[in-house]
Amino acid sequence: MSRIIDTGLEELSATLYRMGELAHRAVLTALLECLEGREAYKEVHEMADTLLVTADHIEDKAFELIARFQPVASDLRTIKSYMKIAYDFARFGRYALDISFINKRLGGLKNCEEWINSHVKNMSEKALEMVRLSIESLKSHDTQLAEKISGKEKEVDKIYFEFLDKLIKSGATTKCAVSSVLIVRYLERIADHATYICESIIYIATGQKVVLR
Amino acid sequence: MAVKFDIQNLNAWFGLKHVLKSINMKIEENAVTAIIGPSGCGKTTFIRCLNRMHEITPGARVSGKVLFNGIDIYDNGVDPVMIRRKIGMVFQKPNPFPMMSIYDNVAAGLKLNGVRDKKILDAAVRRSLELANLWDEVKEDLNKSGASLSGGQQQRLCIARALAVEPEVLLMDEPCSALDPIATAKIEALIRKLAENYTVVIVTHNMQQAARVSDYTAFLYLGELIEYGPTKQIFENPKHELTERYLTGEFG
Repeated sequence: MSRIIDTGLEELSATLYRMGELAHRAVLTALLECLEGREAYKEVHEMADTLLVTADHIEDKAFELIARFQPVASDLRTIKSYMKIAYDFARFGRYALDISFINKRLGGLKNCEEWINSHVKNMSEKALEMVRLSIESLKSHDTQLAEKISGKEKEVDKIYFEFLDKLIKSGATTKCAVSSVLIVRYLERIADHATYICESIIYIATGQKVVLR
Repeated sequence: MAVKFDIQNLNAWFGLKHVLKSINMKIEENAVTAIIGPSGCGKTTFIRCLNRMHEITPGARVSGKVLFNGIDIYDNGVDPVMIRRKIGMVFQKPNPFPMMSIYDNVAAGLKLNGVRDKKILDAAVRRSLELANLWDEVKEDLNKSGASLSGGQQQRLCIARALAVEPEVLLMDEPCSALDPIATAKIEALIRKLAENYTVVIVTHNMQQAARVSDYTAFLYLGELIEYGPTKQIFENPKHELTERYLTGEFG
């Protein structure tokens, strides 16, 4: 027999999956803009707004479930974590908007030195993989999958610092240096939030508060 | 933690029915310990073993040790009446003595123990009613029948009656299940207050009540102690699959 709280939990997780997919699309769109020189600020802005509104909606729904059902054990851990993950997804949207704004304000990286473009592209691919991994872990509640993010996070951090070191010595144009530094910084933050999501998945499943960073 | 009860390999039977199976647990002094579990899991039997009330039922039997302040209450030579005075019990249904006044209900235990001095009795009645958060509501009506009070007041009267003989422990068997939410909230607040000076063990079907009032929670299932620990841990992160399933309402 299914419990009446299950309807609410299912609604929450369905909304959260949709958020995840939208957040992924927002980040991808913003990065393509910067790397390939398209203009999609308005589109990214709308997605970021939707993510914020949806995160609020998830929080309201989670509060309602707490008030109505006084959940405990894995139910309580799930609700707490879903609120956190909704915030993480909203942050993806916010960083996507920030990246898109760089393109709008400073121009993207399309006309920058080849090595800058390829380095940022490489880091973008890694960060997007992490976003994907966080969404898949959420869908499956698979802790082994979630744990895989740890290695990827370290890799992104490494690429990030390597890039900064190289950039300082490179004599790149100021415009390209500023744009690329901001973008890799946001990518590094996106990678962190993807990691928080994977930590939340492990918490839901096991009750253990692990640090994968 | 100061240990009030150290329960070692406790078993209990009704006739041939084995209702408690090798229970081992320590109960902390001046704390609230909640016993939860589905109907028939042995919760009530368990607390009745803590003050030797189980053996009153014909055919009932106990084995194992219940060390109370380090002394086994089942040792030969231990007086069960003395034990029940030290370890009081409050029942599911408020059961004040119906033909007695409020005053006499509270004084009954002391009178049974031979206290006759009016001043001592007056002081004990007032102290117990105050402790039970009932004094202000009944101080003008001490000669009225205990049965004239509301359900919640009657339950607090029963708590006052249990407190009058100066016990160290209060065992409570579903003390709120016959009460409305307001009366329940009053009893729960009272339980927290009492835990400052008394050891409280409460059996409850209401898991949220256990979560609200207790410091420790024990989960019994089919006569076995499945999980026991700090209430925060049991309700946020139970270790045992059965506890998880019971708490989240998958069975019960």
